[in-house]
Amino acid sequence: MTDPVLVIGAGVAGMTAAVELADNGVKTILIDRKSTIGGNALELYKAFPTDDCFYCFEGNRWRPGIRKCFYRSAMVDQPNIDLKTDTRVKGISGTPGKFSVILDLGPQYVDPKRCTLCGLCTNVSEAFLLASPQCQPQAVSYDPEKTDDGAKKAEDECPTQAINLSAIQTEETVTVSDIVIATGYHEMKPSVVDEYGYGKLPNVITQLELAQMLDPNGESAGALVRPSDGAQVKNVMMIQCVGSRDENYYPFCSKICCVFALKHANIISSERNDSRVSVVYMDIRTYDQHERYYRETRDAGVEFVRGRVSRVESQKDGTLDVHVYDSLLNRYLKFTVDLLVLSSALEPPEAADELLSSLGLNSASGYVGPADPISENEVVAGEHVYACGGALGPAEVPESVNQARAVVSKILQGRK
Amino acid sequence: MKLDYEFLEAEVKKLDLAGSVTLHDLGCQDSGLEAIAKLIDENEARLVVAACTSQKIQPRIDQYLQSQGKDPSRITYVNIREHSAWVHNDPSEASKKSLDMIRGALARSVDSTSIVSEMKEVPAHVTVIGGGIAGVEAALSLSNLGYHVTLVERESSVGGHVVQLPVVAPTGKSGKEVFSGRLNALENDKNIDVMTDTTVKFVEGELGSFTLHYNIPDDEDEKTLQTSAVVLATGFQEFKPTMMDEYQYGKNPNVVTQLELSRMLTEGNMVRPSDGKPVNEVIMVQCVGSRSEDYKRDCSKLCCTFAIDNSLEILERNPDTNVQVVYMDIRVPFENEMIYKESRERGVDYIRGRVSMVWESDDETHVRIYDSLLNQYLESTPDLVVLSSAILPSDGVAELSETLGYTLEEDGHIKELYGKLRRTETRRRGVVAVGAITRPQFVFEAVTDAQAAALVLHNELQGGKIEKVARGAVLDVDDCVGCSLCAQQCPRGVPLMIEQTDAEEEDEAQKILFKAAIDILNCHSCGVCQSLCPSGATQLNFLSNSQLWSEIEAVLNEADSEYPITVCFYCEECSVSTIDIVGTRKMEYPASSRLIPVPCAGRVSIIDILKAFEHGASTVMIAACETDRCHIGGTGNEIAQVQVDVTRDILNAIGWKGERVDMFRMFSAEPDRFTSAIREMVKRAQELGPTPVHKGTAGKWMEVTE
Repeated sequence: MTDPVLVIGAGVAGMTAAVELADNGVKTILIDRKSTIGGNALELYKAFPTDDCFYCFEGNRWRPGIRKCFYRSAMVDQPNIDLKTDTRVKGISGTPGKFSVILDLGPQYVDPKRCTLCGLCTNVSEAFLLASPQCQPQAVSYDPEKTDDGAKKAEDECPTQAINLSAIQTEETVTVSDIVIATGYHEMKPSVVDEYGYGKLPNVITQLELAQMLDPNGESAGALVRPSDGAQVKNVMMIQCVGSRDENYYPFCSKICCVFALKHANIISSERNDSRVSVVYMDIRTYDQHERYYRETRDAGVEFVRGRVSRVESQKDGTLDVHVYDSLLNRYLKFTVDLLVLSSALEPPEAADELLSSLGLNSASGYVGPADPISENEVVAGEHVYACGGALGPAEVPESVNQARAVVSKILQGRK
Repeated sequence: MKLDYEFLEAEVKKLDLAGSVTLHDLGCQDSGLEAIAKLIDENEARLVVAACTSQKIQPRIDQYLQSQGKDPSRITYVNIREHSAWVHNDPSEASKKSLDMIRGALARSVDSTSIVSEMKEVPAHVTVIGGGIAGVEAALSLSNLGYHVTLVERESSVGGHVVQLPVVAPTGKSGKEVFSGRLNALENDKNIDVMTDTTVKFVEGELGSFTLHYNIPDDEDEKTLQTSAVVLATGFQEFKPTMMDEYQYGKNPNVVTQLELSRMLTEGNMVRPSDGKPVNEVIMVQCVGSRSEDYKRDCSKLCCTFAIDNSLEILERNPDTNVQVVYMDIRVPFENEMIYKESRERGVDYIRGRVSMVWESDDETHVRIYDSLLNQYLESTPDLVVLSSAILPSDGVAELSETLGYTLEEDGHIKELYGKLRRTETRRRGVVAVGAITRPQFVFEAVTDAQAAALVLHNELQGGKIEKVARGAVLDVDDCVGCSLCAQQCPRGVPLMIEQTDAEEEDEAQKILFKAAIDILNCHSCGVCQSLCPSGATQLNFLSNSQLWSEIEAVLNEADSEYPITVCFYCEECSVSTIDIVGTRKMEYPASSRLIPVPCAGRVSIIDILKAFEHGASTVMIAACETDRCHIGGTGNEIAQVQVDVTRDILNAIGWKGERVDMFRMFSAEPDRFTSAIREMVKRAQELGPTPVHKGTAGKWMEVTE
């Protein structure tokens, strides 16, 4: 009996790796630090390059059909997948091929196999929440910090006894043959970059926050409004390379922010008729077929300003005055906008450093680097250690999926 | 947000279709699963489960039953939670709708058949076409996964473009060094046959039995090879910009492409091609043919990095060289940015603008550059002009597609099955495409692509023993009229037209020369063939024509003009997700809707739509995946669109209103696409009033008034 594989992180890459392994008869432990899996994808609304939802993911043998929405992925019902949510890696020891991993399991307040989404708990208590209708597992999550009188009632009356408010944190040690790092990326919170006023001025947001605003399932039901007063947004400005290509923060290019920004500019200019968009950039990097987004946004009247923002000032009427150096005109320009969207750097997630050092892996600007760069095997991070998706650096969904499959390919090759 | 279960139980009991009715609170929990298992035993495995979405409970029920050795394939599911209870305010209307849909499922269930696992053995052999880094990596991966591999290369040696690169970012090593490990592995791998100097003429067949036709040098006879799957890895070619007069390429020997410069650097010292003199000044021009409406519209992705790599290599050899790069946007992803920065620090000069003209005078090459930052024209006399020319797919891809049936992008690259999740797969099952033939790729990306595609094929071939639940289209050859519509329109090219060599028809004119053949193990169960088949010869084994028609009739049992019904056929891909999410979000819509699931919108035929009207529907809508996002292979929804369009024409021609039928596209991130669609069709049902069926005038000839 061979030991299972541990997949750390259940975003698109981790989920793909887990189901592909499971399909091939490999027992897989899939862990995620959150109670709802799906990672960044769950919050991104529309995906490029296909412009449909992000919550879509490949069918497999236990779910006949082609590709499926997250909510249909039956992650808690597949025989070879042991999904552990609210779980972190506490320590790794052992040798390649036989790692011993200590897992820190948060309190399992809700049993996802029992929850039927009946709505009883969410009706009586503020502490229960369905993170997203597409979420996986299809179960409510419980936030102990918001607990109220209703929570106890919910626990008592839950028709399937799915709730256990007295659940406690536990620890578990597992022995695994291989480790797959799929910890994703994190959008930098640009409050450290003074000139943009992020964190101080409410109408300055990041692209990820904009994605949630544009999402028809979000708080504003897809309406583009100013966070400060809920007024309709007429002028949007996006600033590229906030914290990326910058020696003070991250010297690398975050690779997908141009496409991400233009995707949003496209949605705003084609579906939110009354709003105008301008984009301040250094180089527009829409690689390969993503060039389409650049063509489409220019055709839709999006204004591109090559240069840098020097100053942002808040006005009494809620608008922002943005001073921009235009390097093509060699002039300083002033724009008045309702919403300033920062294309913030994509950084390695917290605890990435620990993982790198405990496994002795190479770092690529804080992300997981290849074990042997000359081989150009990007997914092989070490002996019996692999990485895929945003863990290797900013990645698109199709890249993440391909990398996850490459990882599974390598693991199966090693087991033949 | 509730249903009247007593009403449902009493009413369903009255139906002849139901042997018994069991109410259970928690079908998805242990007690419910046990109850289901018991009912399966008592009813020859035929059961209708009316509960929440089958998308969630079916996997659990299937697994539970399979673990007990029971057959779950005859269960029919009806969603009375997300599709009814949660979306209608009036419990009595929701209960009525639920009853109609349960009745429909019962009717469908009558002819349900057991679907059993089938096994098929195929050769554990894969052919890789193209011996560049992607092809070689695919061959090695497949060999490691236990397959015999034939690697076919048109040139006299493997290595492709990579071995011509003086330096591969970000390793800093030469292409030869990057390739050497794989070359060793290839030479020592007994499971891989390498055939160089070999040209593939065409490939025919299907997953498990492809025949490769090829030629070898000095032998005119075409040879063949049997193989179970094909990896296309024929790489890229660099655009040769001879027709772009402004650059003088092909006329002035000192104007070369970036790849030609790479070869010069790999082979030895860089000198001026015209006279062998040293090169002191180089101008590189980015986006030659790329990002251009006249040539290739998209960005070629790699050229910026190539140019920077080569610039650094030039400076490495001769630090005094003056290198200028003329660009529109410098596009270097992730850590390549650091190489860009290094090149700036080492003196490479970047000019944002375009080259307007290259000309020769006094034995010198002159270049005029428009600098868009300075808004000025600059002139220069470089020793070498290097054009970063567009990356195009290699020759021969279109020719191979004629028999292999995969589709191509506008720019000639092989089109992936689905851009987000199925990048290495093509429309044709058993044919994957890896590396630069699909899109410009960095070396590490091509390697990942190859490794991933090896897994995709391994999932299909399973070591040569394909085991799969045989859910799919079944063809009755006797009923086939040889029209070939199925073979032409199947989104995955599964039906093959087979010559009927022993057809013994008495009347020569009646003889059908070709008939279709469908291998169910290759089928994706969309039902497009069924909806197009004029003779009912091909039908899905889990949703025959009679099953769907009896469901339609049963669902519409109570339909009349007093309470106009809108029937919605929805695909079980994006549409069911959208409709389920509408339910989970408890978004309200009219309860006069009746929902009928189909595997793909392409399963719905003109007859199916007309059946709905015949039995009393006021309007009919088809819910499908978004344009170009059909899950089955891209075209099921377009087939549905055709069926809807033709039905409209028919309705108009017989004096009905064509607007009574329509198609809507949706995905789950925008659930209001469904609610606004169904509201629209319910509105039309009310506005258009009773149908001729309601009025009793249907079936009689009517004068058409325009």
